[in-house]
Amino acid sequence: MLYVVLFFLIFSLYLYVLLGGADYGAGIVELFSSEENQKITKKTIYRVMGPVWEANHIWIIILIVILWIAFPVYYNIIVVSLHIPLTIVLLGVTLRGVAFVFRHYDAIIDNSQQLYDRMFKVSSLITPVFLGMVFGGLINGKITIVDDVASITFYQAFVAPWFNGFSILVGFFFAALCAFLSSVLLIGESDEGQENIYVRKSGIATVVVFVIGLVTIVYGYIFEYTFVTYFLQNIYAIGAMLLSGLLLVPLWFTIKRGNKIWSRFFAGFQVFLILLAALITHFPYIIITTTGNISLLDHIAPDSVIRVLGISLIIGGAVILPGLFHLLKSFKMIKILEQH
Amino acid sequence: MENLDAARLQMAFTLIFHIVFACIGMVMPFFMVVSHYKWLKTKNELYLTLTKSWQKGVAIFFVTGAVSGTALSFELGLLWPEFMKHAGPIIGMPFSLEGAAFFVEAIALGFYLYGWNKLPEKFHWFTGIIIGVSGVASGILVVAANGWMNAPSGFDYIDGEFLNIDPVQAMLNPAWFTQALHMTLAAFTATGFAVAGIHAYQVYKKRKVALHKEAFKIAITFGAIAAILQPISGDISAKDIAERQPVKLAAMEAHYHTEKGAPLYIGGIVDEVTQKVDYKIAIPGMLSFLAFGDFDAEVKGLNDFPEDERPNVPMVHYAFQIMIGIGSLLMLAGMIYFISLKKKKWLTSNKYWIFFIVLAPFGFIALEAGWIVTEVGRQPWIIHKIMRTKDAVTPMPGIVFSFYMYVVVYTALSIAVTWLMIRQIKVLNAIK
Repeated sequence: MLYVVLFFLIFSLYLYVLLGGADYGAGIVELFSSEENQKITKKTIYRVMGPVWEANHIWIIILIVILWIAFPVYYNIIVVSLHIPLTIVLLGVTLRGVAFVFRHYDAIIDNSQQLYDRMFKVSSLITPVFLGMVFGGLINGKITIVDDVASITFYQAFVAPWFNGFSILVGFFFAALCAFLSSVLLIGESDEGQENIYVRKSGIATVVVFVIGLVTIVYGYIFEYTFVTYFLQNIYAIGAMLLSGLLLVPLWFTIKRGNKIWSRFFAGFQVFLILLAALITHFPYIIITTTGNISLLDHIAPDSVIRVLGISLIIGGAVILPGLFHLLKSFKMIKILEQH
Repeated sequence: MENLDAARLQMAFTLIFHIVFACIGMVMPFFMVVSHYKWLKTKNELYLTLTKSWQKGVAIFFVTGAVSGTALSFELGLLWPEFMKHAGPIIGMPFSLEGAAFFVEAIALGFYLYGWNKLPEKFHWFTGIIIGVSGVASGILVVAANGWMNAPSGFDYIDGEFLNIDPVQAMLNPAWFTQALHMTLAAFTATGFAVAGIHAYQVYKKRKVALHKEAFKIAITFGAIAAILQPISGDISAKDIAERQPVKLAAMEAHYHTEKGAPLYIGGIVDEVTQKVDYKIAIPGMLSFLAFGDFDAEVKGLNDFPEDERPNVPMVHYAFQIMIGIGSLLMLAGMIYFISLKKKKWLTSNKYWIFFIVLAPFGFIALEAGWIVTEVGRQPWIIHKIMRTKDAVTPMPGIVFSFYMYVVVYTALSIAVTWLMIRQIKVLNAIK
């Protein structure tokens, strides 16, 4: 059953990164668009994301719930050391969610739209940046584990783990990935003649992802981050990264050919590989602290808990996944399915 | 402000808001599907207009409920990491099922909101039912987790360790049913009266009277039925608490001295120094009867419990009085509504509509008061008799700043949502 739980943990993480990421990315794309393109993007986002965006964000709740049930000690370290960036993420999630609904459900369209738009765009960028910083915080080796936090400074305990160059780079890297996913997705959903806006955005996002990714690794190498050292020594991680880079060729080919299914598949698979590279680099030692590594597999909840959780997840998955698939099919992917 | 106080205030504050959003998001779908059903049956445009207007309300409240709920799922750990470290695995089951129910609700909502003219009529309507049912299921599951804090079960507590964990038994703890029943009825009462009150105001103002009267009827029918059933559930809860958490019952009634044939105090001002309640109405033997079904039964007083195991008595007592008082008032109002179905003349009287306008916020006031009784009444424990709240709080200092942040954000959010609702109604009234 532990494998079932681990599967759902990683599965939710992946779906959150892919679906939630594309969702955040839509706001980022809108943020970095000209005024006219913003209007087009806003309309497209509503049509594409409207029916599914709520579902996209529930994956993080599933992720958190699995963490606290099955890996309570690990969860405890995250919520204590990374309290501040997580609070900012929550603020971002809140503002973004309400802004999305306000701008589409306000009965009167007037100047307040500008406020909703600004809230939506800015929080679409800030939230994934801080989410990335949380992930960076787990792997950058700055988390200090002590019995009594009063024995170290506030900065050491609650700020240093996430407020540093490496984490900030990881934050922006994740935001760039979101923008990349979203622009590829939007190519297939835009109206006739508007594809080029997103083709261009995909190009820019690809360059940004590559540059930030490279800078992150170089930065980590220079300052001798344990994670980066592991990464550079792990042949599978490097392989996954290289494959992800090579896939840019078929990606661009399919985009130029206007093949929407394959271009999405390649973009999604590239992000899958990048996350895979990060995960295999340090799995199961998900948290790297100042004094050593903490394995996800240490301090697991008792068997009885894992068993019940596994069964709940299988039942929940059996109910949710077909429903979700049907929802995606009915709305988001409807255009594509019609064409093929 | 002490970190513990700030953390408790933040939790209370965010819960108070979440509860309102969540209840409306949970109950309004039922109003919506009733109106939708009437539209399918009668093809009267009025019902279609009403359904579409309510669905916007559902969408807005669902999202505010969902984001404040997401925040809470993190806050549990952010504010009470020691609690979650031990309790997380034990009460994880209702939370994981709640996650699934919530997911189903979000999927159904996607179908419903975007399914007009795209999905088969009956299937579309049915997705509305799923929104409502999964919403109520979510509510019940979360309350079951809270029930565990009041009635911890499904584990052995040996030398500070939680052993032999049985998540199913923990979920089906002795408090889950009484609490879930009471809360579900409360959600229907509060939302029913609030929505009915808003439409009553429109009728009173003579705006689109036919439409708002129909809306009023649908909402108040749910609210009135729930309000009339609530005292039964309250009685079950009282007997349950008398047995399991006698100190909470004693605080609810500000009952300091153990006695047989204990009187029920209605209202009154608690004097903690003299341990007396002034200006109250006392009904002899009634507390004993309500708690144990016997007018002579012995009811334990607060003095029977160590001082460091008692909650804040005045707060619990006043909150309880408010809840009971409003509950009785709403039950009466529910009866008045059903009588008015026979006496149609009442509906033309302004007084009738003003009565229901005034009642609009009361259900929610009672509901919040009820949660104050449950939560403050459990103190100083976060897990009854197992873990103290002060031992669960985060070691990170300065929680007071995040508390202030939540106050600002949630207050702004509430103002924004209210403003949006006013605009919805304006537009609704302007439709020809």
